Amino acid sequence: MQSFEYLRPTTLTEVGAVLGKMGEARPLAGGMTLIPAMKLRIAAPTALVDLAGLPELAGIKSDGKTVTIGAMTKHADVAASPDVQRLIPALAALAGGIGDAQVRNQGTLGGSVANNDPSGCYPAAVLGLGATVVTNRRRIAADSFFTGMFETALEPGEIVTAVAFPVPSAATYEKFRSPASRYALAGVFVAKTASGVRVAVTGAAPCVFRASAIEAILNEKFSAETLASLRFPADGLNSDLHGDAQYRAQLVGVLAKRAVAKLT
Amino acid sequence: VSEKLSIPAENIEIVFGDTDKVQFGLGTYGSRSLAVGGSALVKATDKVIAKGKKIAAHMLEAADTDIEFADGVFSVAGTDRSKSFAEVALSAHFPVDYPLEILEPGLEEQAFYDPVNFTFPCGAHIAEVEIDPETGVVELLSYVCVDDIGTVINPMIVDGQITGGVVQGVGQALYEDCVYDPESGQLLSGSFMDYCMPRADHVPKVSVETHITKCTHNPLGSKGCGELGTIGSPATVINAVVDALSHLGVNHIDMPASPHRVWRVINEAGGAARPAQ
Repeated sequence: MQSFEYLRPTTLTEVGAVLGKMGEARPLAGGMTLIPAMKLRIAAPTALVDLAGLPELAGIKSDGKTVTIGAMTKHADVAASPDVQRLIPALAALAGGIGDAQVRNQGTLGGSVANNDPSGCYPAAVLGLGATVVTNRRRIAADSFFTGMFETALEPGEIVTAVAFPVPSAATYEKFRSPASRYALAGVFVAKTASGVRVAVTGAAPCVFRASAIEAILNEKFSAETLASLRFPADGLNSDLHGDAQYRAQLVGVLAKRAVAKLT
Repeated sequence: VSEKLSIPAENIEIVFGDTDKVQFGLGTYGSRSLAVGGSALVKATDKVIAKGKKIAAHMLEAADTDIEFADGVFSVAGTDRSKSFAEVALSAHFPVDYPLEILEPGLEEQAFYDPVNFTFPCGAHIAEVEIDPETGVVELLSYVCVDDIGTVINPMIVDGQITGGVVQGVGQALYEDCVYDPESGQLLSGSFMDYCMPRADHVPKVSVETHITKCTHNPLGSKGCGELGTIGSPATVINAVVDALSHLGVNHIDMPASPHRVWRVINEAGGAARPAQ
């Protein structure tokens, strides 16, 4: 790890100012990805801007139609929240299945969403539920937030402050864990929302994406049987030592089918 | 040692793993620790008993050849005259009335043992697996093994060694893989994020039983144990996987039988796996 400055501002304005001023400064949330990356010298920020000094960034609010979760809320707290469990049980289950107990008690929603790991679980929920990412500057629809591998619509100096999840009529998340890392080799989030069925896929491609072909079939008829003959295309999917694109395509189809079966 | 001398196990101090303090030995390879080291222990203990008989003979005013040793007691055959192991040991270390001119004090002995032959442990291992035909995931449902390792000294260690070995073999059969990039030669599975070790939730409780046929050529009757698990389980688990896929014409699968590889084999064979029975 290389040396860096450590800052702990207490207001959002200060955070924005510090991040804008120092080119290579990075916000620090739970540190579950950034710190290991720094130890491996994949990342070498000149300063860490610790968001732990802003307790208002953590917490879960709900008005019955929307569940708004602060960016610094830990996975374990989302998993254990009675509101999330009642209104979006799929989201609570997803949070409870991330990493291991240590990661869940340290990693945060905002960190996961801003990092946009291709195998991350939260991006699937954010995109699958059609959530809105709230930043210190604006509100960004999920559909335009995740822009590429580890890339988002966030601009320099902009940080995620919360994510607003609309309550779906039903949703579920099916994940196929990589046997080694337990990250999603493929994960499929299926939600019945006010604007129709949304299906988000993580782990399979460089960036989380919506499986519009599956959505079209399910909007026609929401049943696992209609997906039985689906051959999900392997084009653009990842190939690595744990599975090639064909295998990931197979997993996406199987997970989608199993998710729908759970909801019907 | 406890059994041979009738001394409680808790009174025996084991000096373990310090090559500065223990006798010369070649190490623990080849599942040889007990079969070789244990045999040397038996020989050294026999020497202690033989010397103890000489000391007891002097104490009991009898001939060496008339002294018997049983249940931790030296006695003159056919009489009720006897000395305990502790009394003999005391005399050996405080030789007040002691035949110093013909017998060295002390009761320390050492022995070398070089095995005359290999030992031949054997066993039968059975694995039950279930395969998800859609994802290729192999689940190990149960694992039973019965091994003949000759005389068992510590059943708890045997259970631990065999269980640990079986799990290590399961890792080889299903999970562990060194993958190199063919272009650059870079090791791709370079961390535990990519190199999958078998974990507690990958394996059921391994059922370990022993069937004892004593080794005929060492004094303990013990055979090797340490490597039995790892030798048995890769073949057993892979055979179970191949058996589950045999109706598709599959008669071979490379290790590790990872989900991706198993799915590809099923897919290429063009069918679904046999339903669970």
